[in-house]
Amino acid sequence: MISKSVYKIPDGKLLKISLDYNDKNEKILGLLITGDFFIYPEEAIEILEKKLVNTTLNEKILMDKINNVIRENKIEFIGLNVEGLVTGIMMCLK
Amino acid sequence: MSEKWRFLITENNSASKNMAIDRAVLVANGEGKVPPTVRFYTWSPAAISIGYFQSLSEEIDLKKCKDLGIDYVRRITGGGAVFHENELTYSIVIPENHPQIPKNIMESYCRICGAVMKGLKNQGIDSIYAPINDIVSGGRKISGNAQTRKLKTVLQHGTVLLDVDVEKMFSLLIVPNEKIRDKMISDVKQRVTSVKHILGSYVSFNDSVNAMKNGFEQEFNVRLIPGILTDYELVLTDKFEKECFANPDWNHKR
Repeated sequence: MISKSVYKIPDGKLLKISLDYNDKNEKILGLLITGDFFIYPEEAIEILEKKLVNTTLNEKILMDKINNVIRENKIEFIGLNVEGLVTGIMMCLK
Repeated sequence: MSEKWRFLITENNSASKNMAIDRAVLVANGEGKVPPTVRFYTWSPAAISIGYFQSLSEEIDLKKCKDLGIDYVRRITGGGAVFHENELTYSIVIPENHPQIPKNIMESYCRICGAVMKGLKNQGIDSIYAPINDIVSGGRKISGNAQTRKLKTVLQHGTVLLDVDVEKMFSLLIVPNEKIRDKMISDVKQRVTSVKHILGSYVSFNDSVNAMKNGFEQEFNVRLIPGILTDYELVLTDKFEKECFANPDWNHKR
């Protein structure tokens, strides 16, 4: 199932999520994270998107997964944050 | 004695070439082959650049761009879509460990924007840095900026709006629905300004170059020495243009 969300990060930038997920087991099949935020290094976005495939659409699980990827790849967000990213992804379910 | 940096002016290049030059200078500086460099440039034809993370087809009306002969390109920097017409675009490339550049990314935005603000001040325009990446005058945006760091090197590029045509800009952008286009245009008109709007008369790229150049020299206490791209940078520019910025795979990748 494909769903989209648009979420303005408080004090940050505009986040747009395009999510493809399995609505039976609520796992991510694929997602595209777009917007006018900054991520350092930029190429880390592709790593993040890949690592989130097969993740269950649950706030706590997403938060832990994203924090892990950030730590492992020394990623820095500007105008975006983990809470906002999780909110944007979960909004696709509504 | 003040340090010498290279100063480049490259006018009337395509969007793909402009972005390829910025990346070529970044790589050449990262490899220690060229000094810190400040470049001022213009775009011909007029162009829209989108941030690295944006979706091209969701941000830009590609058919309208084609009809009006407007170029488009994906940047290597994050940030939003920018319509490049009647502006002075700058880029600065400098090693990450240069004493003039704060390690912290937000602090380095502020520092580099300080050079742009001094350049505006030299033209009689007061402005302040508005985090994350804007410079505002009288509460309205006059400059947008975006930074990347690769090869332990900082590239920041940004705009100084000499004049602005909000209607034209919005005719090229995708808006959620046509009904709110007029509302968005009037909102943006309230939030954006230009050198022309503030000073009451149009100042050309050439007329603002010296003021802006002095702004960079004052902020960083350096001398900007006019130079040209090296042969190596020209080769890299060609390579990056073909591989990336003029390549549909790159521009449509998100």
